[in-house]
Parts: sequence; C-alpha cells; structure tokens
Amino acid sequence: MIKPLDEFVKRFRTHIVLDETLLVEKESKYYLLNKKLRKHISSDFLYAGTYLGEIRHKEFVPSFPLLNMIAKTDASKVYVDEKTEWLFICGRDVFKRGVKKTTGTAGKGDYTLVMNLRDECLGFGQFLVDSTEERESVAVQNLLDLGDFLRRERQH
Amino acid sequence: MSGREFFTRRYVELGWNYENARATQAVRVNITNAEREEAVERLEQRGIELEKIAFLQNGYWIRKSRFSVGATTEYLLGLYSIQEAAAQIPAELFTKLENKEVLDACAAPGGKTVQLASLMRNTGVIVALDVGEQRLRALGNQLERCRVQNTIVYKLDARKAMRLQQKFDCILLDVPCSGNFAADKNWFRRRTLVDVERNALVQRQMLEEAANVLKNDGEIVYSTCSLEPEEDELNIDWAIKTLNLKTENIECCGQKALTNVFGRNLDSSVSKARRIWPDKTQGFFVAKLERRDRA
Repeated sequence: MIKPLDEFVKRFRTHIVLDETLLVEKESKYYLLNKKLRKHISSDFLYAGTYLGEIRHKEFVPSFPLLNMIAKTDASKVYVDEKTEWLFICGRDVFKRGVKKTTGTAGKGDYTLVMNLRDECLGFGQFLVDSTEERESVAVQNLLDLGDFLRRERQH
Repeated sequence: MSGREFFTRRYVELGWNYENARATQAVRVNITNAEREEAVERLEQRGIELEKIAFLQNGYWIRKSRFSVGATTEYLLGLYSIQEAAAQIPAELFTKLENKEVLDACAAPGGKTVQLASLMRNTGVIVALDVGEQRLRALGNQLERCRVQNTIVYKLDARKAMRLQQKFDCILLDVPCSGNFAADKNWFRRRTLVDVERNALVQRQMLEEAANVLKNDGEIVYSTCSLEPEEDELNIDWAIKTLNLKTENIECCGQKALTNVFGRNLDSSVSKARRIWPDKTQGFFVAKLERRDRA
C-alpha cells in the first residue's frame, strides 16, 4: 500500500487491504478506483472513485471514506453518547464522561476512531490518557471530525 | 429589456400570471447510504417534520425544523442531501442508470451528481465536468460526504466534451442558466434579456456537444431553472430541428411545455417537455431527448 496511507492506518493498530493496482495519486491526493473507473480515467482528472486522503503540510490527512474503511476493522474505537457526539462534530475533544465504550487496545498517544452509538464514524482523535485510566479528564483530543464538511462549505 | 414589469409581462403572454413564490425547502435521501424509512425516522426523532414529495422517488418537503437541516449528524454522514424539489426531477428521468456510462456535463456543486450515483447504486461510471475552481471543490466535498465511489471529475467545459473520447448512455445537461425569481430575490434587478439570450446560445453549444458524445441508443436529459423560453422551449425546438434529436414523454409535475412562444409556432413534440412555474418548487424546465433514428 502507499506508504503514508499505510503508516496512518497502522496508528490505529490495525491494517486494511487495498488493491494497489487501483490506487492512484494525483497532486498528493490519493484515490481508490474500481476496475471500470480504471479503464475510463485519464491523467488530468481532479477527483476519482473513493477519495482516501491527502498530504497536507507533510502530514497525511485522511478522508471520511478512509476512516469508514478503518472502522470496519478491529481498530481502536471510542463510542460516545449523543451529547458528546455533537460536541465532537463541533470540534471539541472527548471527555471521559462522554465515552460509553471503548474497543481495541490503545495507549496514550495512539489514534482512535470516534464512533456514535449507531456504530457510525464521526472522526478520529488521539488518546491523551491511557484508555484504561479511570480519572475524569479529556480522553481523546479531536484531530478530525465530520463538522469539517460544514467548515469547508462555509469556505466555499 | 429588463426589470420585473418586463419579465412578468412576458410570463402573462406565456399564459402564467406572476405570483411571488418562494420554494419550500426539500431534502433527498441518499439511498445508497440509508433506507428511506430509516433516514426519515432519524430526522423525525430530531424534531424535523417531513412530508413525502409525491412526484419524486426519494424527496421530502421540510415541513418544520427548529434548526438548519444542514447541521445534523445524518447530513454529515451523507444519509441525505438538501436539494430543491424540482432540481431532483432530471436525474429520475433516465430509463435505467445502473451500470451505465453517464455524463454529468455541468456537475458542480454536485447535488445531481450525488443523486445520479445514488440511483446507480454506485455502479457504472459517472464522468462529471465543470469549470469553476470553487464549484469543483464543493463537488469533491459532496462526493466525499455522500460516499460516492463511481465518479471521475474533470475540469472541462461541457462544450468540449468530445475531448474525453468517450460516448455515453445517459447525459445530464443541467445547463448554466439565468435562474428564476423564486430562487433569487434580486433576480428581476439583476437579469436582462441580453443575459438570457447569451445563456441560450451557450446552452445550444452544450446541447450540440452532448449530441456528439451520445451513444446511438442513449438519452439526454436537459434542464434549466430558467423560466425564459429562449433557454427552454426554443432551445429544444432548435435541438429537434438541428441535432437529429427527438423529445420523449416524461412523467413529472408541471405542465406541458409551450409550442407557441410569443406568436412563434414550435415543433409540436416540444410539448413532451415540462415547464414548472414557481409554486412550492422554484421555476424549472426539463426535457428528455433521444436520437431521432433510435429504434
């Protein structure tokens, strides 16, 4: 798999399998095609298939479809209550009291997906404490949330 | 040749008495991402009152909402899109979309592209074209949010679609147009007949190019949100007479398109297109075209 993508996925202590012959990079953006798209695409495309993410300021920034792919694996996840769900979408960190459940193993500094109670991926963050720690504090620092779509719409 | 009086007098000549109308907000469930019932139930649990739109497959009027329907988890997850009701009509008019090669010739900001992908269940291929940088960025965001997987986007003017060296089964030609007063409160102040005629010319060029890249058994759906016949009936009449195309019957809301415009008689088959005067929807025009020699 393309190195930045692979390294990003590994930070969730999991892996995904993508057909490398269907992966394309265009101006530091990564896309996953299907066979039919592969047949039709020409090099001057702007967007194609499933957008996976991009390199921005030397950091890989994932797309939401990629986070959804990771969510289908045994990646580390925190499940948050409804109030925390919306606060997270608005850009806030996740406090321990809003966490209903965690799955997978994760330590301080690891990435985790943030999920709602319907098992839908809201974004991802980084554990600021060990997931087994009991004390009340910020558990997950928000690194990317679905509210990003609204922020982008405002920019346009 | 501009202003409210000028244009409303034209509408009277076309058989419609001007009424100030504002379109009711509508949403469309993205059926690749959610079952209709599930999406509706989730929105109703949030206190959003919906009403099924009778003439659409997946559209709902927003009857009541205490907050913006663009600010819900469900919207951000791509379970639905905010899309004006009349604008949902064109994509539904193709005979069959699954596994087809589809051209969305003027795609940005992407509402109809997402709708096509949804109706295609992410099968086949959509080639989406547009020219504005910002609009293309908005299109990319829509595709990502709604988890579209079958689309390739190019920055290309629809009038140069032959450069793709590809023919299409279905072509959506939702052309750039003059718009209408129900969607723009400053419309009468902003628009002149010169704008309308300039747009109509560009639209003809787009129709011509679409005919060039249409497969022999393919379908074109042409739509505008303009009420001006130069961009609507007169263009379809021109396409019938010039591009070896014919109109097909369509079932949707609205009235039969006009066949007499300001005293000029048009081909009688233009009436198969639909003209939608503003009411609960914005003003709209839609026509379905095929090759004249199609079996």
